[in-house]
Amino acid sequence: MTAVATHSLTKDFGDVRALDSLDLEIPIGSIFGVIGPNGAGKTTLMRLLIDILRPTSGHAVVLGEDPRTAGPELRARIGYLPGELHLEGRLTGRQQVDFWAALGDDPASARDIAHSLAERLELDLGRQSRTLSKGNKQKLGLVQAFMHRPELLILDEPTSGLDPLVQQEVLAIVREARDAGATVFLSSHVLSEVEAVADTAALLRTGRIATVAPMAELRATAVRHLRAVLDGTSVREIRAAFSFRGLAFTLDDLGDGEVAVTGMVEGRADDVVKGLAGFHVVDLVYAEPDLEETVLHLYRGPDAGAETPTTPTTPTSPPTPTSPPATDEEEAR
Amino acid sequence: MSRLPVFVQDLREGRRSLIGWSLGLIVVMMIYLPFFGIMGGDSEIRELVESLPPALVEALRYDQMFTGPGYAQATILGLLGFALGTIAAVSWGARAIAGDEETGTLELTLAHRVSRERLVLERALGILVRLVVLGVVVAVVLLATSEPFGLDLVAGNVLAAVTAFVLLLLTTAMAALAAGAVVGRRVVALAAGTGLAVFGYVGDAVGGQAAGWGWLQDISPFAWAYGNSPITDGWDPGGLALLLALSGVLLVGAVVAFRRRDVGT
Repeated sequence: MTAVATHSLTKDFGDVRALDSLDLEIPIGSIFGVIGPNGAGKTTLMRLLIDILRPTSGHAVVLGEDPRTAGPELRARIGYLPGELHLEGRLTGRQQVDFWAALGDDPASARDIAHSLAERLELDLGRQSRTLSKGNKQKLGLVQAFMHRPELLILDEPTSGLDPLVQQEVLAIVREARDAGATVFLSSHVLSEVEAVADTAALLRTGRIATVAPMAELRATAVRHLRAVLDGTSVREIRAAFSFRGLAFTLDDLGDGEVAVTGMVEGRADDVVKGLAGFHVVDLVYAEPDLEETVLHLYRGPDAGAETPTTPTTPTSPPTPTSPPATDEEEAR
Repeated sequence: MSRLPVFVQDLREGRRSLIGWSLGLIVVMMIYLPFFGIMGGDSEIRELVESLPPALVEALRYDQMFTGPGYAQATILGLLGFALGTIAAVSWGARAIAGDEETGTLELTLAHRVSRERLVLERALGILVRLVVLGVVVAVVLLATSEPFGLDLVAGNVLAAVTAFVLLLLTTAMAALAAGAVVGRRVVALAAGTGLAVFGYVGDAVGGQAAGWGWLQDISPFAWAYGNSPITDGWDPGGLALLLALSGVLLVGAVVAFRRRDVGT
């Protein structure tokens, strides 16, 4: 059973193709994350699903219906958090909650859920939304999306602007919704966030799906930045230790027996740790790169030949960075 | 719970603006209406007006200024009240779709269980109710000041003229709303509403004077509203029907256009 399916879904804005014959299936009862750089088409896809935008061609099926024709009754079953949240500034949170509740089927229960969610997120509903910080506005947006217990949640960057503790709480709420039977479709440009909750993730780039995979698989392909400083050794020794494990890094002799090791690693954490273990480690940073790099790296993976867009269908798509991350490794060879 | 949540919400949000415009109208009327006392009789102002070019006098409708109802019509309903009311009506009409769309709040509302047509219709109803409130304010001030300022207004005629005033403002509000529903740009909506108001006003003035241009009055909402002098002669069903019909056509156009297009792009 699928909660959302798209069939050759295409959306043009003038000459720009924002979504390019997208075929996607989101199973009922799962958390589906879509990641991708800005301008990849995440927001456009979500807006098409709630009939804010209309497809240029192709169609979507949401909870068994076509959003284009199903009308407001379908949207009553969906909770939507826009990526750019704009609230009526003069109204208090409570007044807005009352309004959203009044639009739904069961205002009384929606209001109750909204108030308990606001309490859980420590959001003061008595304040006018123009006086709220970005994070508190986002909380109100989340309350709005969850308050009528929708079957499908479409959340565009749900944790954007929230501090880490609240982010965790929001992800917990997302999981609870899934456990209660809802389907969650969320987008992010932060890989770790999708990693933390999603069952399946799609990588979207320039309006196309680059990869759809269970989270475990994506995690294995996750790219990491390595930066280490090793002591009491030489460039030659380190190169030998890592090439034994099939890893190549940029090595800089810092003098006094210290060598800096930098590079990108893809899913080889074990080899990295074991390779480093033979040396005295003075400093170590093993960090998640930003998503842009991850996406680019995945494009350079096994499928790169087929997926590299040589004929740009989207003239305004962001240019590929001039120094792709892989050069670090190439220099080291 | 309310059956018209969008409408109720609009009134709640627009309360401050409505109070502001009502106060503005009251202030303007309380400044201008007392001056009727020095306009009447054989005052110097009357001589001055008579020495002006007749076309100018007629364009400014100063020829009617020497009766109470004519003064109320020329200064308030046909000029300052019309100008203030038009600004309010156009800004409400532009905000209803285009303004809300540009600030981004419309996307969130439409993500809920609201159809596009319902949104447009409830917002139009909200505008109508606010314009009626402005009309009531104008009518109450005119009737309350008629005796102290010696305006000699007839209650039934005031109601007829203020009804024409409200429906005239409604046409400009609906023009702004419809333009916003079609293109989603607030500037375009403001231009459409203001354009219709100015066209109506100028068309009425030019059509009343230039030979061969009389047809302009036939298509001027301003002339439909005031051409048959409701403030002196009472209800003009034909003019009111034209104003309502134009508003209705614009509203239907708004619904049809807004149902078809993308929002917030």
